[in-house]
Amino acid sequence: MKILIVLAALAAFVAVTSASGCDKLQRLKVKSQWSRAYSSGHDREDFSQAIWRAIFAQVPDARALFKRVGGDDTTSADFVAHSMRVLAGLDILIALLDQPEALQAELSHLQKQHDARHIPDNYFEAFRLALGHVLPAQLGRCWDKTAWSDCFDVVAKGIKGH
Amino acid sequence: MLRLVVLLVLAAFCAAEEGRSHCCSAEDRNIVQKQWKVLWKDTESSKVKAGFARLIMLKLIEAKPEAKALFTNVDIDHPLGGTFTAHCLRIINALDMAINLLDNQDALDSALDHLAEQHHARAGVKKEYFKAFADIMSDALPRLLDDYNYMSWRSCFKGLYAKITSKLDA
Repeated sequence: MKILIVLAALAAFVAVTSASGCDKLQRLKVKSQWSRAYSSGHDREDFSQAIWRAIFAQVPDARALFKRVGGDDTTSADFVAHSMRVLAGLDILIALLDQPEALQAELSHLQKQHDARHIPDNYFEAFRLALGHVLPAQLGRCWDKTAWSDCFDVVAKGIKGH
Repeated sequence: MLRLVVLLVLAAFCAAEEGRSHCCSAEDRNIVQKQWKVLWKDTESSKVKAGFARLIMLKLIEAKPEAKALFTNVDIDHPLGGTFTAHCLRIINALDMAINLLDNQDALDSALDHLAEQHHARAGVKKEYFKAFADIMSDALPRLLDDYNYMSWRSCFKGLYAKITSKLDA
């Protein structure tokens, strides 16, 4: 009986993952590529600077959302702290890509935090494109665009709630 | 001449810096960051991290049973469940963020200030819980990390805890 339940859960998981186009192997790949790109210390600060500058270059209006956390100057202490928080959140999501139950819990948590802020879909798209440029710059050849694009969709959908 | 000016400025800077950070020196910060990084090397490290944080949190509510109620909405009754696992990762990632910002004092202050706000907003969180958390953590970390410099960690974490708890009433 227990095996049946496990199998059913597994089947459901596979169905969900393959429907979204971010399958188990892609999830593992994204996890390992992320841990290299995420790096640490000053490298991580530079990595996050690059991502946020790429976002604001595409959607300058988005800066207004970050006024309270020093968004006018991406190098300000408040904004560095904020951008590290965001990346820490993304780090949790990516780390949990292969633990569906906990991933769902974290996505709901982040969805609640973002709901009140009414973030337009194209800002998420700008985030995806920014990652799409900064990640390969950080990782060189060992970067799988499709896997990242597919798995980012899972994350963005979860935070947006649609 | 220029060299002398540079040296003097450097000396003045060090003297000014000394007052606030001699307890967690540049070398202390280096050591903490280097020793902490070991935890994050593996792709599967999220399971280790969540497991470690889970143990710390369970030990915390063992030591301070009245604190358990604070974690009801993250489902502490099912510590292996997804909700609590995600929460454990949030805690350990906040620590990770602080450690990685150790050598950017201003950004670190801003990040800790934000954490202080988040804990201030939770009625019932007390300084003594953080004291207990810190004690459990400093017991546990050397068991997890092969290289652990007690003095460096202690001197750097003292400041972190002080700032996170700075907005708590009790």
